[in-house]
Amino acid sequence: MKAFTLFLVFISTPLFAAMNHGGMIMDETGMIMNHNPDILPKDCPKISKDIDITIRAGQQYSKDFAGKMFTYDKRDWQVPGCARVNVTFINDDDIRHQFMIHGLPGYMYPKGMFTIEIYGKGQKTASFIVPSRDYTYYIHCEVSQHTEKGMKAQLKVGKSSGDLNSILGLTAALTPDIYPINNTQITWLSMLISFILGIVFILYVGNFLRLKLGK
Amino acid sequence: MSHKRLYYQLIPVVLLLIALAVWLQPDLFQRAAGINLPKGVNPEFKQTLKIDKPCVDLHPEWRLAQNIDGVKISESRLCEPDNPYDVAAFVLGMNNISMPTLMSTNIAEDALIKSDDLDSDGDPDIIHIKLEVLELNGATPDSANVAPQYEIAPGILPGMWAFSPKLRGMSVKNFRSVKLNAILRAPSPVIRIEQGDKVYITLENTHYFPHTIHFHGVDHAFKTSKGGDNDGVPVTGEKAVMPGKTRTYELQPRHAGTMLYHCHVQTDKHLMMGLVGMFVVEENRPNNWVQTFNVGAGHVRYSSVAIKEKYQREYDLHYQSIDKNLAKTIQHSNDIREISKNMHRVYNMSESNENYFLLNGHSFPYTLRDALIIAKPDENIKLRVANTQHSSIAIHIHGHKATITDYDGVEQNPAAQITRDVFHLAAAQRLDLKLQTTNDGLHSYGEGVWLFHDHVETAVANDGMSPGGNIALMVYENMLGATGLPMIRPDALDDFFTNRYYAKKQALWGKKEAGTFSPNSLQLILFALLLGTIVGLIIFIVRGLKGAK
Ligand SMILES: [Cu+2]
Ligand SMILES: [Cu+2]
Repeated sequence: MKAFTLFLVFISTPLFAAMNHGGMIMDETGMIMNHNPDILPKDCPKISKDIDITIRAGQQYSKDFAGKMFTYDKRDWQVPGCARVNVTFINDDDIRHQFMIHGLPGYMYPKGMFTIEIYGKGQKTASFIVPSRDYTYYIHCEVSQHTEKGMKAQLKVGKSSGDLNSILGLTAALTPDIYPINNTQITWLSMLISFILGIVFILYVGNFLRLKLGK
Repeated sequence: MSHKRLYYQLIPVVLLLIALAVWLQPDLFQRAAGINLPKGVNPEFKQTLKIDKPCVDLHPEWRLAQNIDGVKISESRLCEPDNPYDVAAFVLGMNNISMPTLMSTNIAEDALIKSDDLDSDGDPDIIHIKLEVLELNGATPDSANVAPQYEIAPGILPGMWAFSPKLRGMSVKNFRSVKLNAILRAPSPVIRIEQGDKVYITLENTHYFPHTIHFHGVDHAFKTSKGGDNDGVPVTGEKAVMPGKTRTYELQPRHAGTMLYHCHVQTDKHLMMGLVGMFVVEENRPNNWVQTFNVGAGHVRYSSVAIKEKYQREYDLHYQSIDKNLAKTIQHSNDIREISKNMHRVYNMSESNENYFLLNGHSFPYTLRDALIIAKPDENIKLRVANTQHSSIAIHIHGHKATITDYDGVEQNPAAQITRDVFHLAAAQRLDLKLQTTNDGLHSYGEGVWLFHDHVETAVANDGMSPGGNIALMVYENMLGATGLPMIRPDALDDFFTNRYYAKKQALWGKKEAGTFSPNSLQLILFALLLGTIVGLIIFIVRGLKGAK
């Protein structure tokens, strides 16, 4: 088995190198970086599962999130350790977007990254294999301010390492914006009544107790 | 005794409840966003929403080329063209017009007298002009609003002054209206005379403050023929013309060109209030009747003989700015002592800003009604540009490069004239431009609806709300609609002709503003109950301890 893996590494690496430059596959519609359909991480004896995911990027997907501008159609993904993730990334905008995942092992993914970038409307498919450890990987589009205005997601492997912050519809921001509260007279009135009710309640209970004790 | 101990035993419970209350304390006035941000709201706008028509089109018949009392007035396809009867009166003088023409104007019969063809060349050479001082958007003791009302842009009514040809009758449209007749407006009118004319300009001070007139760049002697003040500067000449008084200045300009006139009393304030206008001396020609006033500046419907020799059209472009704080000084009191104090002593121009920027008395979008440059291909268009702002202007006409022919009323050697696309004018400077509409890739890039505006970007907004300020358009006739508006995207102007937009009460691009969170009622009620419980418990303990033996 191990010998077979080594053999695969041996034959695939030069073949792959022939069609890319430093891990990059580029054409006029976009770029794929560190495509890896077959090299296994050190801790994975074999691919545990083949998982196909489709992730769409575009302005339209932020419609349901007030105050945001760009996002993916789904922002939370779950796969088992040692899975091969085949990402079909679809860009529904006329501008550039990326699917960029960080934290992969640097010995097989230079800079720890796997990226699909599409320069306008279009789609590309590429794969990466995750190691076995339980971890939450950070996915985003790094076009200036796209992450910040909503284009951020997470890939949980195994038991994961918890949720990342500021994922639309899932988690709050680390540095949240502060908004005023729209209090009305009803707010204050209901608070006042509750306050008085609290006093009355205690005094009533107290008097009841006192009467009992007095007896 | 045992009772007392019971009460003491309750004290830790109170402390515990207080700790609980502190821990459960809800957000009362503001809250950090969690996963979801507030849904968003439209900005609150308390006034009634007013939506203007881009063009009201009151006088479509004024647009036509017409002959009034023998004066051939050119077509003016603007939404708000100048009243052609006014134009005829300004060309002939009030003493030479017919009764129907007189009745179609609001001008006093002694406002402009033209007589005595001294050099027998077919035009009058003695010109008597009478100017009054208007106040626009001033205070009134009868209402919280300002009066008489002059909007520079939708919902924007800064206090302003202007010189005006002497008027007659009502200044407002009718007894029930606070809106001014078209002739009462900013800026101070362009005054046009012929080189060599003997001109007597009388300031009739109808205003409540002293004023004078100083002629900037216009050939005039330091004193009048009778030894009176003729430079308009109270420091070097006579005292200012007091309210209710008059003074006559005398000019016989030997040099032609685009000049200025302005008040020289408390000049910083009075000039910015609007007491400044363009003064054009036209070259001497035979049979040269000139249009003595161009009210509201802009299109000149009756150009001089010398201009007609070289140009198909002529426009006067008067750039002006307003500090909203200066403008307010006349809007809060009807006690002239208070107004004087607030304007001249409390207000400090060295700490001032310019907030509104006007071209010919209007800011965008109202500039679309009367400040367009209308053109056809292969024309030469004369533009006289004056900057009466504090700050410099840098005028740019999209799609065109024009040639500077005159600086401050002095012709530039034709061999050294500069063609460029940004025209810089420091305060009080004037440029005469030759705008050629030859589609040659240099002078013009062809027909279109081309923006023209100051490229000092503070000036293309109304108190910081863009688009506004002195933005206007150069429109080729093939793209000009019947009511004088350009043929542009039908919804392009929808936002701007409301009072809400420039009050900054409209979120942009159809987006809402963030707004507020609603209160978490359950949490607040539980918290109040808890507080009530604590207070009740304290009362119970105190009363119990007092009562216990
Ligand atoms: Cu993006
Ligand atoms: Cu003055």
